[in-house]
Amino acid sequence: MRPDASKKIATVTPKGGPNVVVIGAVVATLVVVAVVVAIVIGNNSKPDSSTATAQTVPAGVVGGKGGGILVSGTTSTGTAPAKSNAPTLDLYEDFQCPSCSRLEKVMGPRVASLAKAGEVKLVVHTLSFLDDNLKNDSSKRSANAVACAADVGKFLEYHAAVFAIQPAKEGDGYTDAQLTEAATTAGIAGPALATWQKCVTSGQHAQYVTDVQTAAGKAGVNGTPTVKLNGKDITGTLTTADALTAQVRAAQK
Amino acid sequence: MALVSHQRLWRPADLIGLLARLVLGVVLIWAGVGKVASPAVSARAVRAYQILPYDFAGYVGYALPVVEILIGLLVVAGLFTRVSALIGALLMLAFITGISWAWAHGYSIDCGCFGGGGTIAASQTQYPLEIARDVGIAACAAWLVIRPRTPYSLDHRFFG
Repeated sequence: MRPDASKKIATVTPKGGPNVVVIGAVVATLVVVAVVVAIVIGNNSKPDSSTATAQTVPAGVVGGKGGGILVSGTTSTGTAPAKSNAPTLDLYEDFQCPSCSRLEKVMGPRVASLAKAGEVKLVVHTLSFLDDNLKNDSSKRSANAVACAADVGKFLEYHAAVFAIQPAKEGDGYTDAQLTEAATTAGIAGPALATWQKCVTSGQHAQYVTDVQTAAGKAGVNGTPTVKLNGKDITGTLTTADALTAQVRAAQK
Repeated sequence: MALVSHQRLWRPADLIGLLARLVLGVVLIWAGVGKVASPAVSARAVRAYQILPYDFAGYVGYALPVVEILIGLLVVAGLFTRVSALIGALLMLAFITGISWAWAHGYSIDCGCFGGGGTIAASQTQYPLEIARDVGIAACAAWLVIRPRTPYSLDHRFFG
């Protein structure tokens, strides 16, 4: 008969130690709880849409919810109506993005003159995702401010004025005083300035700014600057202003 | 060292296992910590791959850093090493697939592996480097799946 080994087995088997099932269950629970918490926090970190101020959509918005602002006689005084063969030029920019500022330096005046002459239908989408990266709110505030400028017919002018004062160091952002100074530079004065100021202070287009960011993300625009001509991404081809004009002319045929 | 005096000498495989645990675990924790404080950025980094639907990609972006940190902690501690390493290996496979997808589709994105992410200039993309790094980490994970017994692990302490 074989000797009974149960006593020996009992002495080498750990007694009362942690159980693999118990520890596993605890770890699994922790993982699930942490993931749920992360998703809830992530959802709540979305920009607050229920601001107290009555939210409005700025002048010139085209393309449905979160669409860009069309540069026209309404949003930028002194702009000729777009010609019937004018291609659509979509510009996705963030006022805190240094590459956008460089693009504005090279292309800005040409883009503005093409738009004002009605050679292109210029639609500007001001994005604000850099706020998340840079941990400030300057992209949203400046995007709201330029939307307010559209309401008073100075969109293009204000757009240029903000890029002109972009801080040298990415992340320094814009103060309220700087954004107001840009309004003066853009030629917003008198009653228009009061209207603009009220719109800026109350964050009247904050929800619109959020919608623009969401719409751009859904459209697959994940970076700035992005330039589309009739829906085609031409950002990489824009080395000179003439390169843009050439493509606009070609698209007009 | 005390360890040497009353236990058998470490075999090379033990040392490899311990190193694999530290590399896999530390990289996962590091990657998670780089993203966990900025859920919106993380969500956008996942969306930039243009694989998952917009909303679902957002949830993945929120949850991923937490999963990375937790799995990383388990791997470093050597608790449930095989299962944790298997999840780590699957994560790496998913990342390699995603980066390859972006590369194949001609997107110019930062992988967002350690934070950041999104579209960058085409000249700044680092797809081969990112894939090579993830393959290396996946190899560490694979080692641990095959041979989860390693020195200084909680598995050893708790379960013998």
